[in-house]
Amino acid sequence: MASSYWDSTQRKFWTFSKQQLALERKKIEESERNLVNLYPLPDRRLLSIYFYHQLAKMARPLGIRQQALATAQVYIRRFYTKVEIRRTNPTLVLATALYLACKMEECPQHIRMVLAEARHCWDASFNDISKIGECEFTLISEMNSQLIIHHPYRSLAELQTHFTLIPEENTLAWAIINDHYLTDLPLLHAPHEIAITAMFLAVVLKPTQSGLQPNAAGVANALQTLGNVRNTGGQGQQTRNQKLVDWLAESNVDIEAIVECTQELISLYEIWETYSDKACKEQIAKFVKARGLDK
Amino acid sequence: MFTGYNNKKRVNERYKIVGFISSGTYGRVYKAEGKNGRTGEFAIKKFKPDKEGELQYSGISQSAIREMALCTELAHPNVVHTVEIILEDKCIFIIFEYAEHDLLQIIHHHNQPQRQAIPARTIKSILHQLLLGLVYLHRNWVMHRDLKPANIMVTSRGKVKIGDLGLARLYYKPLHSLFTGDKVVVTIWYRAPELLLGSRHYTPAVDLWAVGCIFAELLSLRPIFKGEEAKMDSKKTVPFQRNQMQKIVEIMGMPSKDRWPLLAAMPEYGQLSSLAAGNARFHRPQGLENWYQMCLKNNQYPAGSSPENPGSEGFSLLQQLLEYDPQKRLTAEQALQHPYFTVHGNPSENCFEDSKIKYPVRRVSQEDNDIRTSSLPGTKRSGLPDDSLIGRPAKRLKEG
Repeated sequence: MASSYWDSTQRKFWTFSKQQLALERKKIEESERNLVNLYPLPDRRLLSIYFYHQLAKMARPLGIRQQALATAQVYIRRFYTKVEIRRTNPTLVLATALYLACKMEECPQHIRMVLAEARHCWDASFNDISKIGECEFTLISEMNSQLIIHHPYRSLAELQTHFTLIPEENTLAWAIINDHYLTDLPLLHAPHEIAITAMFLAVVLKPTQSGLQPNAAGVANALQTLGNVRNTGGQGQQTRNQKLVDWLAESNVDIEAIVECTQELISLYEIWETYSDKACKEQIAKFVKARGLDK
Repeated sequence: MFTGYNNKKRVNERYKIVGFISSGTYGRVYKAEGKNGRTGEFAIKKFKPDKEGELQYSGISQSAIREMALCTELAHPNVVHTVEIILEDKCIFIIFEYAEHDLLQIIHHHNQPQRQAIPARTIKSILHQLLLGLVYLHRNWVMHRDLKPANIMVTSRGKVKIGDLGLARLYYKPLHSLFTGDKVVVTIWYRAPELLLGSRHYTPAVDLWAVGCIFAELLSLRPIFKGEEAKMDSKKTVPFQRNQMQKIVEIMGMPSKDRWPLLAAMPEYGQLSSLAAGNARFHRPQGLENWYQMCLKNNQYPAGSSPENPGSEGFSLLQQLLEYDPQKRLTAEQALQHPYFTVHGNPSENCFEDSKIKYPVRRVSQEDNDIRTSSLPGTKRSGLPDDSLIGRPAKRLKEG
């Protein structure tokens, strides 16, 4: 896939620098200054966690696979860099993104099933498939029909054979990739950079000892190991870590990118501590109700 | 609800419809000219909604989604260029660069009024460009799955472009077996033997078999394996395409386990033995080499090794493309390396170079010029039949 990622619309049109992304968001916020002031929202990462929980709730009964879920998350993130969230009914956008992602990831779901599950799992107010159908047009147009997503899972599979990760490490790396969709990383970095970060953290965090849930402190420790790479050839204690560090130093992987990804994940795990399902739900409901977006 | 879908682009503001080109299971294709500062000619494909006369949004079909995504993603000189996609008022329009010809029309022109062979240089250039496009698709993990003369476009400058990605798919790690999604693909005459024998895990090699069939058709001006399609029965079970397999065996001989080790593992393997019963030609197949020599003779290619003759290299390439075992069949990259392309100098980048033949322009009908309204998509019209020109068998089954 390497060759296809480099020429992909994902790289050409949907990978930003941090500054570019901030600018895009500022633009749409400025255009809806009033709404933004009237309806404050939780941190974007907290909203992303909320969205993910919602998507997962719906994906379970439909048997939708992780990759389709990931694609839906990327669609939602892309869409909201172009459309102010307070102008939309997020529930409808979520259902539609999942419906579209399932088609793209070759596990299609009937639009009626998606509607039925949205109503069942989320108590969604819309009750007509044409709402999802119409929203699909909007979603595709805003994304300029650029629907093919390159995920880090495939790069991880390649790395896994190269480094012979143990199953626990692989599981942890996979979980870290799942988590990165809660951040802006999919819009900031190439999938192989994410995969390398995930693998690196998985190996350094040693899942067998610390359990499978990564946390901010653990990841911060890992950053120090990365620091060794930057100073090239620090004396790592474990041979395995050392092998990884050497490989990172010798490969033309952008170490700064790996550091950035790691920092982004640290701050995700930090803010996660403050997450409240209720707060997100209520704050979204406020503008949806007030503006009649659910009608 | 939502602020509502209001598109920013409108087809009629950007393009002037010149006429109607063709229709198919997917919808209709129009010829158009640029408007308001936009110049050039275009082909606009309008998708028909799932149900006739659909006035509501009902979700876009998976095949349309695939085609939109692939058209947006792919860019290569030998793949039809997608200019833009417009979603407007429940309709989807894909705007392509315009191509004046296609291989079906070129083959047809050489059959009328009397048969006259396509120059060997033209064929070599067409095949070379076709393979360049296919290498690109396969490198990007895209299988075309419906290569046939009608889907290979040729511009007036002799550039060959693979068109109609309506059945194309990304094939890396499909979530389901590729078989389950769409029951049957590829127009039957160009369908690879492993598909006819019910293979569930088919590969890009199916496209190379189709290239072999197209090569043969360019040489002989007739489809090499012109079988009759067995229709799906009322229970929607996929039938064994007995007649098509027969046509292949009549020329190629029976496939054998020696040459194709996995043959016996094919779901329809049992059907093969019954093919031979009562059919004398099975025991004395024509043989591809005899077919090839007859074809060159009938179409009066000059004898001897020269650029005017496809020669023994042409046969060697054809034979390796029409290889029963998909694992032994040439890949697109290998095919490009074949001496056929270099023995008498490199193929031209313009397939019409040094050719004196004038091909007619694409027929465009005037009776349906309003892309936005009037004719409801999918309604029967008396315009050109599907794929135009001569009667072709049904192309594809609707996806399940």
